[in-house]
Amino acid sequence: MAQAGQSVHIGCAFSLIEIAHVIYSKLVDVKKIQNLEPDRDYICLSKGHGVMAIYSCLLELGMIKEEEINNYFSDGSSLTGLADSHVPGVEVSGGSLGQGITVAVGIALSKKLDKSNSKVYCIVGDGEINEGSAWEAIMIAAQQKLSNFILVVDANKYQAMGTCESVLNMEPFKGKFESFNFETIECNGHDISELEKSFKTLINSTSEKPKVIIARTVKGKGISFMEENNIWHYTRLTKEIYEQAIKELN
Amino acid sequence: MREVLSNFLADKALENKNFYVFSGDHGYALFDKIRKGTPDQFINTGVTEQAMVGCAAGMAKTGKKVALYGLASFIPMRVLEFIKMNICYEKLPVIILGDGAGTVYTTLGASHQCGEDIACLKTLPVKIYSPADKYEMEACLNAAYTQNMPVYIRIGKSDKPSIHNAPIKLEELLPVISKSSDTVILATGSMVSTGVEICKTKNYSLYSCPVLSFNNTSAFINELKKYKNIITIEEHSVHGGFGATISDIISENNLNARLIKFGITEYFTKGCGSYEYAIKFHKLDVESIMERLKNLGL
Repeated sequence: MAQAGQSVHIGCAFSLIEIAHVIYSKLVDVKKIQNLEPDRDYICLSKGHGVMAIYSCLLELGMIKEEEINNYFSDGSSLTGLADSHVPGVEVSGGSLGQGITVAVGIALSKKLDKSNSKVYCIVGDGEINEGSAWEAIMIAAQQKLSNFILVVDANKYQAMGTCESVLNMEPFKGKFESFNFETIECNGHDISELEKSFKTLINSTSEKPKVIIARTVKGKGISFMEENNIWHYTRLTKEIYEQAIKELN
Repeated sequence: MREVLSNFLADKALENKNFYVFSGDHGYALFDKIRKGTPDQFINTGVTEQAMVGCAAGMAKTGKKVALYGLASFIPMRVLEFIKMNICYEKLPVIILGDGAGTVYTTLGASHQCGEDIACLKTLPVKIYSPADKYEMEACLNAAYTQNMPVYIRIGKSDKPSIHNAPIKLEELLPVISKSSDTVILATGSMVSTGVEICKTKNYSLYSCPVLSFNNTSAFINELKKYKNIITIEEHSVHGGFGATISDIISENNLNARLIKFGITEYFTKGCGSYEYAIKFHKLDVESIMERLKNLGL
C-alpha cells in the first residue's frame, strides 16, 4: 500500500499498529463493526495520518479489499491518505487535526444518553493534541462523565517537523490528563499484553471518568531505519526501500 | 423572532426525545423554556465552539436531530472548518443557528459583529435562511427541521417591525409591496423593514428573500425579468453576500437589469454606539440609501 501510494505517512502508522491490533482483535465485537451496527463499539482515528494502520485492520476484517490496498492513491480510488469517514469502518474524518476527537466525544455522548454499552475508542497523536480543540473535547468528555470514552495518545515523541519536545512540549501527559479528570494509564504502546491489560483495567473501572492510555510508542516501529527518524513522517517509498522494509518485517 | 425560536426549540424537544440543542455558553433567556421543559436535551458545552460543533456532529452521526447555537461571529465564522468537515462533508442535517448577525452587537465591537457569515457558508453545501420577522423565522425553522442537509439560520436584529401579518409559506421571493414599477428592492433579514420604509416614498416593489440558497428556478428568474433596476439590501458584506448572489443570477441568466447593492462596505464599524449608529455608519439607514439612490438617478 505504502509503495503504491508513493508519498505516505508511514512512520505515523507504524507507531500505532499494536494499539489498533489490540483494539480490533481483543476488545471489540468485530462482527458488529463489520455490519456497522448502531450498537457497535466505535474506533475513531483522530490522528488521521496514521490511517494505513487502520486500513490494515479493515483489510483483515474484509471491510476493504486487497485491490483497494494495491491501488492506493490511484485515480478515483476510495482510500485516502488521511482517515476519511466515507470509507466504511473509518468512523471519523481525521485529516484536520484536533477534529476527529471532537466527533468521537459526540458519539460517546450520544451512546451515553442512549444508555448503550457501546464504547468509543479514539486515537490521537501527541503532536495532534497541540490543537486547542482536542482539549476542548477532553474537557467536555470529563464534564459529561463519558466513562465510555477511551482515548489513546499515540505518544511517539515526534510531530511533523521535529520532536514534540522541541516543537511544542506538552509533557507530562499523565499529570495533564489526571488534572483534566481522566482516568489515566501509561504503558508501552508496542507491548500487546501490556496494552491489553491497560485497556481492560480501564474498561472494567467503575469510575465515571473518561479514560486515557498514554501509549509510549516509537515512530516507524518495526523498520530499523525508520525508527525515530522523522524523515519517515511523510515520504516516498522506493522499490528498494520497500523491499528492504519488507525483509525486516518478515 | 427570538420568542418563536425559543418556543420552537422547547416544543420540538418535548415532541422528539431525540432532539438536542447545543450552546457554547451563549443564549441566556433564549433557552429558559427548553432548560425548564427538557433540561437533558439542552447541552451547554462551555466556551468550546470548535468541540461543540464536532460533538454535535457526533450526535447527529448516531441518528440524533441536533440544533447548534452560537453568535454568528463564532458559529459559523470561528468554526467554519469544523462545519465543513464534520457537518457538511458528512451530509448531516444539523440546524446551525447564528445569532446577532450583522451589526447587532454594536456596543461590543468588531469581535461580535458579523458581516461575513453568508459569504463564508455560500461555498459549502448548506441551506442558508435569513428570516426578517417572526413569521419567516417560524417557516425557516420548520423547513430546517425537515431538511435532510445542513441548514444555517442567520438571526439578525430581532426587534424590527413585523413584515408579514400572518404565517407564510417559505419562498425565495416573498412579495411584500407590489407596485407597477420597473424598480424592485430585494431585501433580506433586518433590511426588509428598511425596504418597507423606502417604499413608502418610492414607487418600487419589494420582496423579502429569506432563502439565500437559490435554486435559480425559472419562476424566480421570470420575476426578476420584470425589472430594469434591481436593488439589494443586506446587513452583510457586499462581497460574497446576498447581493453578490443576485449579481451572479443576473449575469448568468443574461438579464437586462441594473444592479445596485447595499450592504456593509467598510468591513468594521468605526467607533462604538447604538445599532442605529452602526447602520448609519455603514450607510444602510433609510436616509443614506435614499441619498445614494437619488445620486444614481433613481
